[in-house]
Amino acid sequence: MVEISSDVIRGYNDTMILYILRQAPSYGYEISKQIKQLSDGKYIIKETTLYSAFTRMEKNGYIESFTAAPEADGSGKRRTYYRITGIGQQYYNEKCEEWNLTKEVVEHFITADK
Amino acid sequence: METIKKYLEAMFANLPRTPEVVKAKDELWQMMEDKYNEMISEGRSENEAVGTVISEFGNLDELAETLGLEQAVEESHELMETTPRRQLCMDEVRDFLHAQMARGVMLGLGVMLCITCSVWVIMLSGTFLEGIGVLLMFIQVALAVGLFLFSAKRNAAWKYLDKEPCQADFATTEYVASEKDRYHKGLIGQRSLGIILCATSWVPALVFDTMGLTNHFIIDNLIAAVLLLMVGIGVAMIINSSIVRASFEKILKINDEKTMSSRYVEAQKVLYENPRLNDIMSVYWPTVTCIYLSYSFLTFNWGSSWFIWPIAGIMHSMIKRRMGMVKQG
Repeated sequence: MVEISSDVIRGYNDTMILYILRQAPSYGYEISKQIKQLSDGKYIIKETTLYSAFTRMEKNGYIESFTAAPEADGSGKRRTYYRITGIGQQYYNEKCEEWNLTKEVVEHFITADK
Repeated sequence: METIKKYLEAMFANLPRTPEVVKAKDELWQMMEDKYNEMISEGRSENEAVGTVISEFGNLDELAETLGLEQAVEESHELMETTPRRQLCMDEVRDFLHAQMARGVMLGLGVMLCITCSVWVIMLSGTFLEGIGVLLMFIQVALAVGLFLFSAKRNAAWKYLDKEPCQADFATTEYVASEKDRYHKGLIGQRSLGIILCATSWVPALVFDTMGLTNHFIIDNLIAAVLLLMVGIGVAMIINSSIVRASFEKILKINDEKTMSSRYVEAQKVLYENPRLNDIMSVYWPTVTCIYLSYSFLTFNWGSSWFIWPIAGIMHSMIKRRMGMVKQG
């Protein structure tokens, strides 16, 4: 079975995380679970990759972190949550355009012929 | 779960202890724990959950890059090769703690024997057994010296803990920390009881005095003997509890405070602004003991010479408060 190469997908980890954060603020494991589900289990993001992305994006101002408990009444374990910022939204849009272009270009060179 | 924790500890062991690294480790642990818990609640086996969590962890190089630690990681690898730390194992640390408990008992007992050695002389004075009293006193001092020498000789085996750089793993330091917690209340109680015994040692004398019973020499001698016994037992308790507590702290601060290798607890250490005072204070209690014994033997004034102990204690805490700085991690 072909596995996804981490070199190729690296540039789009941020896009995936931002896509999820656009819907609602979320925390580490929840985000990695959603990435796995949305990709039909074809891509599993590594914990270190995810954390590196959080740190880098927070530094760049794309996301913000805050601490909260998962249940509304404050029960449950307190976790670090992340939410997308205005700049993050902009960055996400740019990444989408970039991908569309990349896909279009690469597509020309992909063939089903064996 | 333990396996995952150990895995994470091992991964972080040689990274510098900076706020960023501590935070990264906490966050990664949170994610791993969440993933593990969910797999278990889905009915997967422990082995499967642990295997998945570890295989999906990733690698630390990636993290080092984000945290700006490439250089630090390299340096710590180099340091490991150039100056390896002696790795302490669990059994060794357990032996050390047991040895220190025995040492606490021996030193406490020794000092008690010294303080109470004149009880025989006091009790038997004025009787035909006076000579035997003196003999018993010397036997007691000899026993005390024997205890001091024996425990010093046994303690020499652990000198490498001070001289060589050592390292204890996570499980070992956790064990020591839990033992420290377990003994904490007992040690505080023992120490307080010791202080109370010393501080109230004059109470029997006062009671008998107000009852007007102090003029009979047997009662006077008895009061002096009780006083010495109380001070002796009290000091023994203080010494024993301090030694046991110090042994826990020694292991807990054995790891390099700059790396994440395991629990690091900075013991409260008093430092004096004047470096010369540091040297003087390190021999404070032996000097006091020496003065006490010489004065008492020269004047045979055992009934009041014990007074040096409370005075020395008050002076010690005054010097500490006035000129000392408590260094804390």
